[in-house]
Amino acid sequence: MKVGSKKPESKEVEQYKQFEKNFETKRPVFKNCLKAFLVGGFICTIGQAITYFYIYFFNFTEQTAGNPTVATMVFIAMLLTGFGVYDRLGQFAGAGSAVPVTGFGNAVISAAIEHRTEGFVLGVGGNLFKLAGSVVLFGVFSAFVVALIKTILIKLGAI
Amino acid sequence: MKKTLTFTCMTVLTVLLTSCNNDATQNSGMSLIKKSDPDPIILDEKTEEKNKLVSSIKKNVAKFEELYDVAVIKGEEEILVAYKVKHMQRFHMVKIEQKINKMLEEKYPKENFIVSSDYKIFLEAVELNDKMKNPDYSKKDAKKKLNEIIKLKKELT
Repeated sequence: MKVGSKKPESKEVEQYKQFEKNFETKRPVFKNCLKAFLVGGFICTIGQAITYFYIYFFNFTEQTAGNPTVATMVFIAMLLTGFGVYDRLGQFAGAGSAVPVTGFGNAVISAAIEHRTEGFVLGVGGNLFKLAGSVVLFGVFSAFVVALIKTILIKLGAI
Repeated sequence: MKKTLTFTCMTVLTVLLTSCNNDATQNSGMSLIKKSDPDPIILDEKTEEKNKLVSSIKKNVAKFEELYDVAVIKGEEEILVAYKVKHMQRFHMVKIEQKINKMLEEKYPKENFIVSSDYKIFLEAVELNDKMKNPDYSKKDAKKKLNEIIKLKKELT
């Protein structure tokens, strides 16, 4: 038999699948999307307000205010995760709370809380970036690729 | 627990929002959200010729349909032009800056311009304009402030 080839499903299995479908609760995809859109938009509005706060009260320009804004948003998300508020928000909004940069803070702290009992070094230290590690890795890698393409385009005189 | 958290958040926000507002004047504060249309400023010796020059620069830049507020400050060496771009036109910021730079270079080839669409630079320009209205504010301080604004404009990180 070839590797990876599937056995044809028997009639009973197909019948069971059909039977199961009748009892399955339907996923409210549109409602979930709407929730994610609204909550994600609200988080971004807070981020914009913090950017203006840094521009207005401190010596940050529009260009430089992005860094402290990201740091503040991640810090707030970390605190809220610790207090148990962000988990509830995540349950309600799904991708709306995971996709903005606050989701990164949540991923780091929830892993730390989960592995707290295993000790500070091998537990918290070893698992802190269990979820967020892939974000860091692919973020750095894609930044490298984009920088490489930009450098080549500049050297060729296209930009 | 919930009450304590709410109280802490409110206190921190209130302290942050009230204590940091030290030297921003009322007019400059509103310029972030409202059109303020500040008069052009000349920091070196005022002459009729220079007055005409800054007025014409402001008029020519304000002609661009994509902009809604322009501030012009003439220092000893450079002329700072700060402007605010209409919200939906912010997608074309780079092109707008190129267009303004080209126009200024063509019309005023002898002058040295610093052009910025940054809110902070505009905010600082309006603040300087407000401070200049105070007779106690010296020209030396004004020039120092302009240099600070130019330094801020060149800052990238």
